[in-house]
Amino acid sequence: MRFKKTDPTVPDIDMTPMIDVTFQLITFFMVITNFENTRADERVKLPKDELARPSETTRDNEVVLNMGFIRNAEGENVAGPFVFYGDGENYPVLEVGTILKREYRYFKDVGKKPEDATIVLRSDGEVPTGLVQEAIKLAQEAGFSKFALKAMSEEK
Amino acid sequence: MKFRSSGRKAEKIEAQMTPMIDVVFQLLIFFMLTLKIIAPEGDFNINMPIAAPSDTKTDEPLLPDIKIRLVASPGGELSSVQLNRRDLGNGDEAFQRLNAEILRILGNPADPANKDMEVEIDADYNLNYRYTVQAIAAARGRLDRKTGTLVSYIEKIKFAPPRRPSAG
Repeated sequence: MRFKKTDPTVPDIDMTPMIDVTFQLITFFMVITNFENTRADERVKLPKDELARPSETTRDNEVVLNMGFIRNAEGENVAGPFVFYGDGENYPVLEVGTILKREYRYFKDVGKKPEDATIVLRSDGEVPTGLVQEAIKLAQEAGFSKFALKAMSEEK
Repeated sequence: MKFRSSGRKAEKIEAQMTPMIDVVFQLLIFFMLTLKIIAPEGDFNINMPIAAPSDTKTDEPLLPDIKIRLVASPGGELSSVQLNRRDLGNGDEAFQRLNAEILRILGNPADPANKDMEVEIDADYNLNYRYTVQAIAAARGRLDRKTGTLVSYIEKIKFAPPRRPSAG
């Protein structure tokens, strides 16, 4: 009787379905990874509200102001409130006017209308409202007039 | 002349799969690790041009004024919500009452006449910002439980000048 000669080494595994699945996973993670939110500061604990809906339109020109506290490991506020600005510096809220004036000049220099720019206020829930108002006032004085207050969307 | 390949069957070239799988797994692990699950953030739009709005308001048709006053305790917690000087209490119920009262003032929220309605929020300086956001949300509208869509009440929301502590 004759037997078919078989190779005693490892049988060939069909890799195609595995690669298919892996590519699917990679595509999934690539799509849901959000690289846009890099300007959001993790130290800011936004207030929650179910009415806060992500805006349908994307804003071209915006200045994000993160306002919050520096907290210790127990979550107690140790310093602040500060504006955590993109340059890594923490500014007292009342000194934000100089930053905003600089932003205004920047918009002018690159040929964009600063009037159309939105000031996005990402403010911690424990920041005194008065300081948020002061920041809005300083932004108005710098020449901005559109504001958006950020809150965390909350499903009830 | 003899060719090497002559007589030999055309062989299938085996693609080397191992490096590709390595790279693919590296990518997979990178995306898995960089994934941050964050709750989506939403906006409340506020339009506050620098010109004093009270000057332009005089020749407009008379609209009922909606003023929300938020009084804070010394610790920054909410002590009372007032709508046009009427006390609505505090806590979550106060904001529900505020929401209902604003609906009563508007009548039908879909009425185009309500487009120009404005609400002014006058909060104490030290009030925690989250209460202000609650008040803005109460004025902004209501979430329809069945459809999950926003029933818009008032779109124009502005702030009264800040009450600096030195000014009382």
